[in-house]
Amino acid sequence: MFQARSSNRMSDRWILLILVVCGFTPLSGCDEVGSRHEVNTEFADFVGGTGSGGRFEVTISRPAGPPVVRVATPEGEVALACSTCHDVRTPNFSNTTTADLDEFHRDLPFGHGSISCLSCHNSDNYDTLRLANQTTVEYTDVMTLCAQCHGQQARSYEHGVHGGMSGYWDLTRGPRTRNNCVDCHDPHQPAFPRMKPTFKPRDRFLTPPEHDEEAGHD
Amino acid sequence: MTEQSKGKTISLPVLGSVSRRTAMKGVGATLGAGAFAAAISPLRHLADTLTVEELMQQHYQELSADGKKKVIERLEAETKEQYGADVTISDPRPIPGTKFVYAINLSVCNGNGKCVEACHNENNHDRDTNQSYIRVLEMQKGTMDMEQGNTTYDHEVPAADKFYMPVQCQQCDEPPCTDVCPVQATWKEDDGIVVVDYNWCIGCRYCEAACPYHARRFNWKTPNVPAAEVNPDQGYLSNRIRPQGVVEKCHYCLHRTRKGRLPACLEACPTGARVFGNILDPDSEIRWLLENKRVYVLKEEVGTKPSFFYFFDS
Amino acid sequence: MSSMPVRPKHPEGTPGHFLSYRKFLLRSLALSTDGSLLFYTWMIMLTLVFLVGANAWANQVVHGMITTNMTDHVSWGLYISNFTFMVGVAAGGVMMVIPAYLYRDKAMHNVVILGEFLAIAAIVMCLMFVVADLGRPDRSWHLIPGLGRFNFPISMLTWDVIVLNGYLLLNLHICGYLLYMRFLGRTPNPKWYIPFVFISIAWAISIHTVTAFLYSGLGGRPLWNTALLAPRFLASAFVSGPAFIIISMFVLRRLQVPILDDPIHTLLKILRITVLISLFMVVSEIFTEFYTGGAHTSSARYLYLGLHGKNALVPWIWTAVGLNIIGAILLLHPAATKRAVPLIIACVFVFVGTWIEKGMGLIVPGFIPSTLHEMVEYLPSVTEWKVSAGIVAFGLMIYTIAIKIAVPILSGRVSPPGQPHPPRDC
Repeated sequence: MFQARSSNRMSDRWILLILVVCGFTPLSGCDEVGSRHEVNTEFADFVGGTGSGGRFEVTISRPAGPPVVRVATPEGEVALACSTCHDVRTPNFSNTTTADLDEFHRDLPFGHGSISCLSCHNSDNYDTLRLANQTTVEYTDVMTLCAQCHGQQARSYEHGVHGGMSGYWDLTRGPRTRNNCVDCHDPHQPAFPRMKPTFKPRDRFLTPPEHDEEAGHD
Repeated sequence: MTEQSKGKTISLPVLGSVSRRTAMKGVGATLGAGAFAAAISPLRHLADTLTVEELMQQHYQELSADGKKKVIERLEAETKEQYGADVTISDPRPIPGTKFVYAINLSVCNGNGKCVEACHNENNHDRDTNQSYIRVLEMQKGTMDMEQGNTTYDHEVPAADKFYMPVQCQQCDEPPCTDVCPVQATWKEDDGIVVVDYNWCIGCRYCEAACPYHARRFNWKTPNVPAAEVNPDQGYLSNRIRPQGVVEKCHYCLHRTRKGRLPACLEACPTGARVFGNILDPDSEIRWLLENKRVYVLKEEVGTKPSFFYFFDS
Repeated sequence: MSSMPVRPKHPEGTPGHFLSYRKFLLRSLALSTDGSLLFYTWMIMLTLVFLVGANAWANQVVHGMITTNMTDHVSWGLYISNFTFMVGVAAGGVMMVIPAYLYRDKAMHNVVILGEFLAIAAIVMCLMFVVADLGRPDRSWHLIPGLGRFNFPISMLTWDVIVLNGYLLLNLHICGYLLYMRFLGRTPNPKWYIPFVFISIAWAISIHTVTAFLYSGLGGRPLWNTALLAPRFLASAFVSGPAFIIISMFVLRRLQVPILDDPIHTLLKILRITVLISLFMVVSEIFTEFYTGGAHTSSARYLYLGLHGKNALVPWIWTAVGLNIIGAILLLHPAATKRAVPLIIACVFVFVGTWIEKGMGLIVPGFIPSTLHEMVEYLPSVTEWKVSAGIVAFGLMIYTIAIKIAVPILSGRVSPPGQPHPPRDC
């Protein structure tokens, strides 16, 4: 949403152009992933009373499904699932950095603690995710995966005090939509991206203060 | 002095007779009056724009339903005439059983200023000054001393070793601003929102001096808002285009929130730092937050009892 | 003026107050418009300044207060500074009333009306400064109890409206009654003015106390939020008021109005004490601010030393400190009792010093840094200077005209109308 993280790379081995689309990040330029169904997942029960008792729904946006890699072929563009390649490759459970990779995903910015790729990606089915207890999780339910480690944020989210939203505070009057974890956080690099403030006050006579070392405390 | 005034012939020899002097006085008085009329002639501008209805308009709380309707129709027509925009001015009243409370997560806020901009657009602020009800302070980590902060930063955020604190009207339960107003042009409504009747305010700015949060703004000139940018969804006590010479302030977007919607600044926040809701509802998000997070209010020591909270959660 | 011959009461058979009061007003009008070339020059000059101010104000009303240099950060400036100072000048007049009436100082009693006139002129200026500061003067009627919505008693500004107008009415009554009685050639009936004089003494204290409370009650402005503010205001008021009266007495002497040394010396004695009390209070404030330190003392540090590279008010306050200290030394020097020049210089110094100290040195720094600790500085705009000069010119016109009317009447040089009628019930 904030930054396209697609790494465009020319490959001399494969077909003409491979646009490597990484993971399930909210990518601009990747329609399948970018468009989201507005569906209530199990996270809907985080917000009490949705859809019942004359109240409007709280909709949590979520990924449409597993990410795909678009490949241009002479017949046209085709979308390849992750499993297309990964099914024939041996998973490496010790990979914790993209630097160790010898092909693909090497330019993927990665900064998510010390976890390995397969902490989240399911080596048995690369079109799904996996919890630490080996439970398979669909991409659409990615928040469940996030929540297993980020309990504090998940708890806050559950109570409506983490994450952006829009619509109605009063659900008896109208619906509300809420962001998914991955709307704001790139799972591969979850720190919120830095931004440039675009709108600053233009008050008369307001100039930046000169701060010196001892300023403020005597 | 008496001698001098008696000795007319000495001081003003040409004025020999009393009648002559009286005539001169008359000329002088006429000249003076004429000069005065010329001096204050710019006020004729005002006479052209200021209607008797506006001048004699009653206080908001004394307007009858019919009177209010007429006032709103007049204001809509004036907006059309002066700004070329078709607007609808509503007057939503507090929802019974509602008290609005706001909270900001300072661990999450990164000072990008989208809330400031959203407020600017939502509330038909003056385009020339980038006016907004929100100011974001870039604060030094390790201190809550605002003096080491500033609002003029324009580098990439968050900067190292800084945190960001947006400040807007705290909708105090003990508002010093309403106490000091000599004409009751500003008051606290049942849902906790402190409002201003822009057609009653005399512009003395005592409330601006009294507010400990720099929450109030004065219309130093007529706001400039291009017709295409005017937000047509307006409220009498909220975001209708304010006249020159009156004080205004954040009203928790009451034209939205009293219709159940979230405030514009909350929806605009890309970091999700803002939480808004009804503190009287035990199941509300804001209630859970206040019960479970370690919140604080700004300048608690001045005893204003804000309905606006800050918290850190990481 | 020092000798006010008391005319005998006139017998019955004279026209009623309706007629004689009309004559009094007409005579006053004539007196106020008759004068020497100097008088006319002075009045025309004041009129011109006033007209410039009126024009600047009219433009301010039309184009908005963007014509001032005030901002949302410094939301009060020169107007409210001058308002505050003028309330002090008005209250300062009471330093003549107290010796004259409480201590029965005969010499002071003869000139006490100067203090009362000063109060009238200063209050009129105060009210004009407040109106000049309003964003919507067309809505002033909202302040009228009954018509508008008067937020009494919680708003200190409503108290100020009451005490200022009350003080104006009290002084208009006292002066008007005394002059009218003198005009009629009668001895004023103490019942009709003495109680008002005593009320006015307490009232004078109240106007400046209320004005101080206006600021000191604001918890968000640490520079003002001090219990010392009201006493400090009064102390400096009792510097500026008497100083101005001493100056005007010397001016009147030059204009051949006989003014004895005694009242001047009494005022000097008062000044010698009040100027020291005032300085002492400033020192107390400075000590508390600077020894304590911390965020609440930022305004004081900005004012005296500059803060974060901003120091627009530093020259102002040190000018005030210098003027007040030099003025105090001159006042305390024995020469002040003997020679006019050092005394006049001293009075001018402490008057100007107090003006800065209470306005640009107190009202303005209360806003710097702002409540969010932003540093936005303020210096008055041309419009503000013009409007302020216009208001001061108007005040001086009132003061001049009042004295112009009073001197001949009080010195018995105005012949009473035919045969004044003794009042029925006084």
